[in-house]
Amino acid sequence: MSMRRRTLLKVIVLGDSGYVHMKFTQQYKATIGADFVTKELQIDDRDVTLQIWDTAGQERFQSLGVAFYRGADCCVLVYDVNVMKSFDSLDNWHEEFLKQANPTDPRTFPFILLGNKIDVDGGNTRVVSEKKAKDWCASKENIPYFETSAKEDINVDAAFHCIAKTALANERKQDMKQYGFIKQWRFGYDHYLVLHFSLHSRDL
Amino acid sequence: MQETEIHDLSDDADYAASQQQGSASMMRCESGKRSSSNEPEGAEVLYMKDNVTIHPTQFASERISGRLKLIKQSSSLFMTWIPYKGQSTNARLSEKDMNLYTIRAVPFADVRSIRRHTPAFGWQYIIVVLSSGLAFPPLYFYNGGVREFLATVKQHVVLLRSAEHANVFLVNDFQNPLQRTLSSLELPRAVSLSIVPSTPVSGGESASQENGERTDVDVLDGSPSIRQFYRRERQKVHDPARDISMQLLEKFSLVTKFAREATSQLFWETPSNAFSLFERGSSNLSAIDSSQKPRDDVLELPVPVPPDPLELDKLSLAWGKPRQPPLGLEEWATFLDSEGRVVDSKALRKRIFYGGVEHKLRKEVWEILLGYQSYESTYAEKEYQRSNRKTEYEIIKNQWQSISPEQEKRFTKFRERKGLIEKDVVRTDRSISFYGGDGNANLSFLHNVLLTYSFYNFDLGYCQGMSDLLSPILFVMEDESESFWCFVALMERLGPNFNRDQNGMHSQLFALSKLVELLDAPLHNYFKQKDCLNYFICFRWILLQFKRELEYDQTMRLWEVLWTHHLSEHLHLYVCVALLKRYRGKIIGEQMEFDTLLKFINELSGHIDIDVTLRDAEALCLCAGENGSACIPPGTPPSLPREDGFLFNSELDDTVL
Repeated sequence: MSMRRRTLLKVIVLGDSGYVHMKFTQQYKATIGADFVTKELQIDDRDVTLQIWDTAGQERFQSLGVAFYRGADCCVLVYDVNVMKSFDSLDNWHEEFLKQANPTDPRTFPFILLGNKIDVDGGNTRVVSEKKAKDWCASKENIPYFETSAKEDINVDAAFHCIAKTALANERKQDMKQYGFIKQWRFGYDHYLVLHFSLHSRDL
Repeated sequence: MQETEIHDLSDDADYAASQQQGSASMMRCESGKRSSSNEPEGAEVLYMKDNVTIHPTQFASERISGRLKLIKQSSSLFMTWIPYKGQSTNARLSEKDMNLYTIRAVPFADVRSIRRHTPAFGWQYIIVVLSSGLAFPPLYFYNGGVREFLATVKQHVVLLRSAEHANVFLVNDFQNPLQRTLSSLELPRAVSLSIVPSTPVSGGESASQENGERTDVDVLDGSPSIRQFYRRERQKVHDPARDISMQLLEKFSLVTKFAREATSQLFWETPSNAFSLFERGSSNLSAIDSSQKPRDDVLELPVPVPPDPLELDKLSLAWGKPRQPPLGLEEWATFLDSEGRVVDSKALRKRIFYGGVEHKLRKEVWEILLGYQSYESTYAEKEYQRSNRKTEYEIIKNQWQSISPEQEKRFTKFRERKGLIEKDVVRTDRSISFYGGDGNANLSFLHNVLLTYSFYNFDLGYCQGMSDLLSPILFVMEDESESFWCFVALMERLGPNFNRDQNGMHSQLFALSKLVELLDAPLHNYFKQKDCLNYFICFRWILLQFKRELEYDQTMRLWEVLWTHHLSEHLHLYVCVALLKRYRGKIIGEQMEFDTLLKFINELSGHIDIDVTLRDAEALCLCAGENGSACIPPGTPPSLPREDGFLFNSELDDTVL
């Protein structure tokens, strides 16, 4: 088995609705504390491992964020296009993340917004328009925006590629700025499970 | 003391209240007499406040008052809080307890933030949070002075008011983490740590020869010098382990040196082999296995794993008794008198501790262990209690059942709470046939009990994790009302884990860190080095009492053992230590970081042998003895909260879901 250098990127997924869920491991359960899954990607000849973190959603456990968000390379905010409240609380998640993760430069820290569940009822139950979401993104230093359907597998790969690229770009910048080295892990290929990802609807 | 207070009064709106409430404890402030002549050379006391007090339990019934100081030495700012000697309001608080809370010269480089609380009722207090995520218990300023404290801090370190919370002050919040690291390098702590030998001596034998004197007794006397403190700290790391090692050596005087060396080689010098010895037949630790492959060039060299001061396999041999078969019907009858009272509750608890109970007995026994039924009740009294409680349950349940759709439309809090419960119920233990399938009535029972509980205890409400705790109870009780009252009894003990401020969890994680320090100093040092001392990696273990880590029947077995409170109310913390020790070779050998460690711990789920782990936990608990209990702050769940709880309610001021 050949060994190749891998870059590890830590991604935090937050939002009232929608989270990354590994399809066929354990059954579906509320996350207690935190857990993460990994996803392998190739970005411009670079092997990248996304470490995708899911933390307990209930506001009451937010004090744990300090430890779990530490060292994040990117934050993915997810809302449900059919539920206004999930869109309204984006500001809250955005702020909370910056407060807890305390990144070096909050203004340039990479976020991505996913509007999920666009498949529901052929889009008839949709309450948050694409324009509204894009306006919100524009107001936050132009956060990239994707509309996805995890169920129908629409745009999910594109979203993950964007997440990886954004995080990678940020990491390069950070590396040059402060560390002067690149955070890399080396893994053997044979030890990786093929992971199937999907965005499942979930509140909290 | 009074004159020093004059300028403080404007600071504290609640000062008057404190005078009314706390007059008893305020009698103790003979601050002037406690001179502090023994400051280290070159150290300057910038701030000093008497009667700054810790409430070890969430209730104000037990207090430890002390003196808070800000000290400056070689341009670094330190905070100390030393409890007054022998002035506890409560005789039950031993000096050990007080010692536990003493804050010995914490450099502000290690402080992340200070949160100020200014309740409308009660004293102002601050919570100091360290960069590691650990927080000191709230410090109540009985004599005021919070503002002055913050002002003094601000003169010497970068103190920024958080943009989000007016009462949160960020310390040294430099934009550049590198700068932060550099600034901490100047501190004596960083230097002294580097002096500590990285590979502690084997078996604890030679450690015991190093320092004859124990010095942790006199810390209550005024202010120890910072330099002394560091010396002591170093020494203290070895102290408890050394004591236990000595005990152990006595116990194992028959074990030959040869056998000891052979064992330690077998178990610890090749970590991956050691792992496979413990984990026969559990090959499916996928993500973990992958990290065994060398990454970069770091792991090309084998990482030396410091020896375990208390090797579990030896310990279990000596202490942890073999597990017994579960208590059966016939034997159960021998514990009861003719009318159904438990004759010797202590003997019963001990018996269950060593073997659990057969499933068909669980309903009856759990009701007693949980405290819903009493040991002294006759069959008839239990039946009477059941019927009374059933009526009571229906009344509370009716409170939410009678909410009309129109009413619900205008009742956001109810809708949100109900929604949260519905979402969690459908994802609770669905793989168990009892909860499996669509339209399973047991799911509605879960839902009903949880929603009724959130009305019974509206302040606490519903919190994620509760459905996991209720599930086995309903499985055993097979009755809504009975499950409800058993759950109520369980939450009496575990409720603080779900509090908004998470105080129950924090005190347990704190106790766990102290226990690991006591029982496995090298592992403690490893976690310290990897910045994992907040023990958030064990959060799920503790919050759900290992429910997600064990098979369903093993969870029930563990719970009934824990509920006996035989040996300790906090056996679950020793279970944590036992598991961490089991895997220390792998953890240290593979140099796991916070994330790999969390993954590793989460993926132990389904691979834990509860009988072996309980034996280890028992051995560790016995071995730690008094020193172990001293690690656990009074009132730490599942200890019952002691007295009245006015603070409890004031904590829950903002929106409660």
